[in-house]
Amino acid sequence: MRRAALLAVAAILYAVAAWMVTPGFYDGFGPTQPYNWTCPPPQAGANNKPSSGHLVIKVIDGVSDANSAFTDDGQLVMGFLPGAFVVDGKTSVTVDITPLASCPQPPGIQFVTNVYEVTASAPLNTAKPANLVTVYSNLKPDPSGIYQSQAPDGPWNKLPQSQPGQPFTIVARTSTFGYFAAGYAASSPQPGAVRVGGGQLLPIIVAGLIVVVVLAGLPLAIIRRRRPSNDKDG
Amino acid sequence: MRASLVAVFILVCEWSRVEIARQPGLTLAALVVGGAALCLAAVGRTPEELGLGRSRFGLRVLGGIALGAVLLLPAAARIAAVPLLPAGLALGAVVVSIGEEVAFRGALYAALEEVGGAPLAILGSTVLWTIAHVLSHPPEFLGAVAAAGLLLALWRWACKDLVGPILGHVIADLAL
Repeated sequence: MRRAALLAVAAILYAVAAWMVTPGFYDGFGPTQPYNWTCPPPQAGANNKPSSGHLVIKVIDGVSDANSAFTDDGQLVMGFLPGAFVVDGKTSVTVDITPLASCPQPPGIQFVTNVYEVTASAPLNTAKPANLVTVYSNLKPDPSGIYQSQAPDGPWNKLPQSQPGQPFTIVARTSTFGYFAAGYAASSPQPGAVRVGGGQLLPIIVAGLIVVVVLAGLPLAIIRRRRPSNDKDG
Repeated sequence: MRASLVAVFILVCEWSRVEIARQPGLTLAALVVGGAALCLAAVGRTPEELGLGRSRFGLRVLGGIALGAVLLLPAAARIAAVPLLPAGLALGAVVVSIGEEVAFRGALYAALEEVGGAPLAILGSTVLWTIAHVLSHPPEFLGAVAAAGLLLALWRWACKDLVGPILGHVIADLAL
């Protein structure tokens, strides 16, 4: 009886602890840090505003140095090769990354990240495109690509995807600055829609588990009462 | 001595798995290999010592289903909040779930129980379980991780059973 009571207390303790965080912490399949949203989805819970980033790149002998601009929270990183900028006599190039304060929803595209504006004091050399890495959250479907636009209201174009990135990141290459966000074409099946389980089905799954426990537990308990087992399993 | 070795081995396995899984294209391989490696912690143990005996099997399976329901309940009550897990990680989820239960509630629990009895086994396995998840989870999730570890360890103690925790862990990971 004491053991059952302790188990019940542990179950309640777990329920309380699990209720206080976003579901889905099992075995760390999600990103290691929660995403900072401009427009957090209802399930996001506590949310920090996304960060901006600023970088000054040196120009040595007329060639811009290799470097990476990134937001302070690491949600967007843009890497530049040596000579990535058309410097035109400049001694340095500044790059600024700013999360857009609004959340555009262009027709035909579902964004799953914030929209970031990236500006620089010099244009990119089209022969040396920049590498763009965007982190995304596990609270929305996986994006199929990174989209770019010259204005917040579009038109948005999908960038050519680069090599596979780390889990929960997507990588692309760009030869121009502007606005960037990761997403998927709304007309296509959601890349993250192929699921192991969960989602809308999860309450049904849990209800099914409870029904199985109750329906199978009753006869098992009756059988056990009629034939008390002497075995002591280890 | 044995408990210390098992603890260090498990921590190295878990942290290595997390670091390797962060490399592009290695996530599933790291989960599968890392989960399988965790089972090595149980080498030299009999199934009974690990809580894997065959008696009352039906009840233990039922207990595992009940544990799965308890683990999923907080997520099920918040449908919209359930994150999206890529289907490709299903195999990894199963192997890691089994590996973690065999390592933490099986081998480590048995080793700690020999040293300091059930209280040390329950608390020790829960603490190490939480530490093992430090690299893979944001800090705010560790309370829930610890509570899940405590629940599974208490089940292991109360029912002398590892089938339930394995089944419950697999169900919870797969359903999410």
